[in-house]
Amino acid sequence: MIQANNLKKVYGGNAVLNIQSLTISDGESFGLVGNNGAGKTTFFRLMLDLIEATDGEVLIDGEKVARRDEWKKLVASYLDESFLIDFLTPEEFFSFSGKTYGMSDGDISLFLDTMQDFFNGEIIGTGKLIRDLSKGNQKKVGIASALLPNPKILILDEPFTALDPSSQIRLKRMLNELQATNQTSMLISSHDLNHVTEVCKRTVVLEKGFVVRDIQTDSETLKELESYFAV
Amino acid sequence: MIERDLLKHQWLKQYRAPGFYKNLVVNILLSITGLYFAFILVGLGLLFPEIVKEVAPELAASDVLNGLIIYTGLGVLIFRYFMQSLNTVDQQPYQVLPIKRRTLVNYVLLMPLLNPFNYISLLFFIPVSITIVSKTYGAWGACQFVFMIIFMIWFNVLFATWLKRKYESTLWGTLFVMLIAGGIFLLEYFKVFSIFDISKISLHFLLSNNFGLALILILPLIAFMLNKQYFNENFYTEKFNRKVLSKHSHTGSNAFFERFGKVGEIIILTIKLVWRNKRTKSSLTISILFLLYGFLGYTGMYDDSKGFMFFVAMIVTGNFMLMFSQWLISWNGSHFDSLMTKSIDAREYISAQYFLMLFLNVIGFIITSPYFFFGREIVFLQIAAFLFNSGVILPLCMIFATLNTKRLELNEGSAMNYQGTTYKNFIFVMIIMILPSLIIAVANKLGIAHTVIWIYATMGLIGIMFTKQLIDLCTQMFLKRKYALCEGFRKKEA
Repeated sequence: MIQANNLKKVYGGNAVLNIQSLTISDGESFGLVGNNGAGKTTFFRLMLDLIEATDGEVLIDGEKVARRDEWKKLVASYLDESFLIDFLTPEEFFSFSGKTYGMSDGDISLFLDTMQDFFNGEIIGTGKLIRDLSKGNQKKVGIASALLPNPKILILDEPFTALDPSSQIRLKRMLNELQATNQTSMLISSHDLNHVTEVCKRTVVLEKGFVVRDIQTDSETLKELESYFAV
Repeated sequence: MIERDLLKHQWLKQYRAPGFYKNLVVNILLSITGLYFAFILVGLGLLFPEIVKEVAPELAASDVLNGLIIYTGLGVLIFRYFMQSLNTVDQQPYQVLPIKRRTLVNYVLLMPLLNPFNYISLLFFIPVSITIVSKTYGAWGACQFVFMIIFMIWFNVLFATWLKRKYESTLWGTLFVMLIAGGIFLLEYFKVFSIFDISKISLHFLLSNNFGLALILILPLIAFMLNKQYFNENFYTEKFNRKVLSKHSHTGSNAFFERFGKVGEIIILTIKLVWRNKRTKSSLTISILFLLYGFLGYTGMYDDSKGFMFFVAMIVTGNFMLMFSQWLISWNGSHFDSLMTKSIDAREYISAQYFLMLFLNVIGFIITSPYFFFGREIVFLQIAAFLFNSGVILPLCMIFATLNTKRLELNEGSAMNYQGTTYKNFIFVMIIMILPSLIIAVANKLGIAHTVIWIYATMGLIGIMFTKQLIDLCTQMFLKRKYALCEGFRKKEA
């Protein structure tokens, strides 16, 4: 369970995030939408203890996140390229990531087998370093590395952008399966309202750092979101 | 004039780089260092006749000068081969514009010739041409001499770029060049084959004939043609940025570190980081060169200056550690978020960095142990320096590393690259490298140098015994600075 209490982040006098109280329960799939600058990435970064909250706190399973290490076992994430280690080959990167979560070589190669379709033959065994992969393939490596440890909590920032259509569909399928079988809590942000409503049971709209909508997904959600963002 | 626009863009790129003004202090410190060397060069040039009289009274100053020219050229060429960074326009945006290919190539090739730094040796050669050359060959001879030097600089710049583009500066290349240089030196030393004499005779010939200048001009022209030819064969960018294919990732050597669990994994990661990034790799090359510093520092002349001797011992034994400890943590800048969100404890991360440095220090100590043949004093100094480096300098470096929030771009540039260096680095280096030796130097005047060195060694030993506690302390510091580091590393410099 993730709790954000009175969470605030201020940059140079401007509050970019201001969340009174938000709870994400175990196994919930949580979608985050909002225009640029709404605070989505800031929220994720706070959750991952990559920036310091000006006020308030994030708790994972009742434990504070800030400056602690315990929560790291439960969480896997991919926000941007700085989550990759670019001088490694994808294989080496998966192996390194897996080992930090205590996985064996066997576990890792089993997982990679399940990713074959997603990788489309362009990632494993090419001998390229991650820094030499295309943007789309880098993204795939990042997403796969987050799925790899089978985390209790999965955080992905705009996972669908830069992916080709088939990969978007595959990713959606994988995320839905993961949720059905593993009870993974998923936190996913996206600019594409379609994707979010297809994957997430709950959608939260952020605007200028505030939670302005918090809806359980149903057949009307997409329309509601579209009308909210209409200009 | 497209060339003029290209030049302007280059200029703008320099001055619009976000780091430029922030780095003003660094630039100023660098210029002061530069001025210092300029001063020395002019001084050397003016005093050259006196120096020759002192060192080799049996030879004529002009003969010595002529004899040294080829050596100087070769030396500078080797230096350039290692240090000079290749000039590239970020070609792609220009390649798609209707600019003639020849214009681009000429620009890339000739641009470095406009860099005033390349002509810094003239600060020595112009005074020398007045004090020595003009006396033997007259005013016209001195003019010729200066122009010859300029042509040689052109040749050096162009030829080094060609060598570098063609052969790249690999570790093996370095060793190869070092062997050749050593060979030439030995041949000269045992009087088998003297480049000194060849240089003397040919320079004399060239300076006494009016067409000498034209003959020398052939050299840069040849180098220019070689470069041209190289570009004709490899114009497309894909050929320049040859991708590193690491199909055979050598896992065998990792077995040693794998025993240490997650800490070991991070150490392996860091070794790969050093090995696969240009900048770290060329630093490795340079630190190998630095191992030889003892031959300069330990031999004779400074015997009674204990402070300097200890300084040399610190650099020689600790040079791997000292070279890389300036980049601790910040070398993970480009993938810092990755390391911070994976299931790695802060303490594990810090321990990995700490132990890797300790390991490098041990290696440096072992490799430099042949210097023990220089006498008991050196044994004493090296052991003391090793202990001091491991127990005192290392934790200081680690703590300092938490203060350095500059993101380090490892994949570009090589030596002489100050990206990611701040004035803090300079101050820190002053404190850790120079202060301890300075104290010894003062103690030496009072006749208690050995006592101070003993104290250093003991401090080092205590530091090593308390490694665990020191790592805890560094971890505390690191956690305090974590967010500042994260934020700093997210900022890319253009």
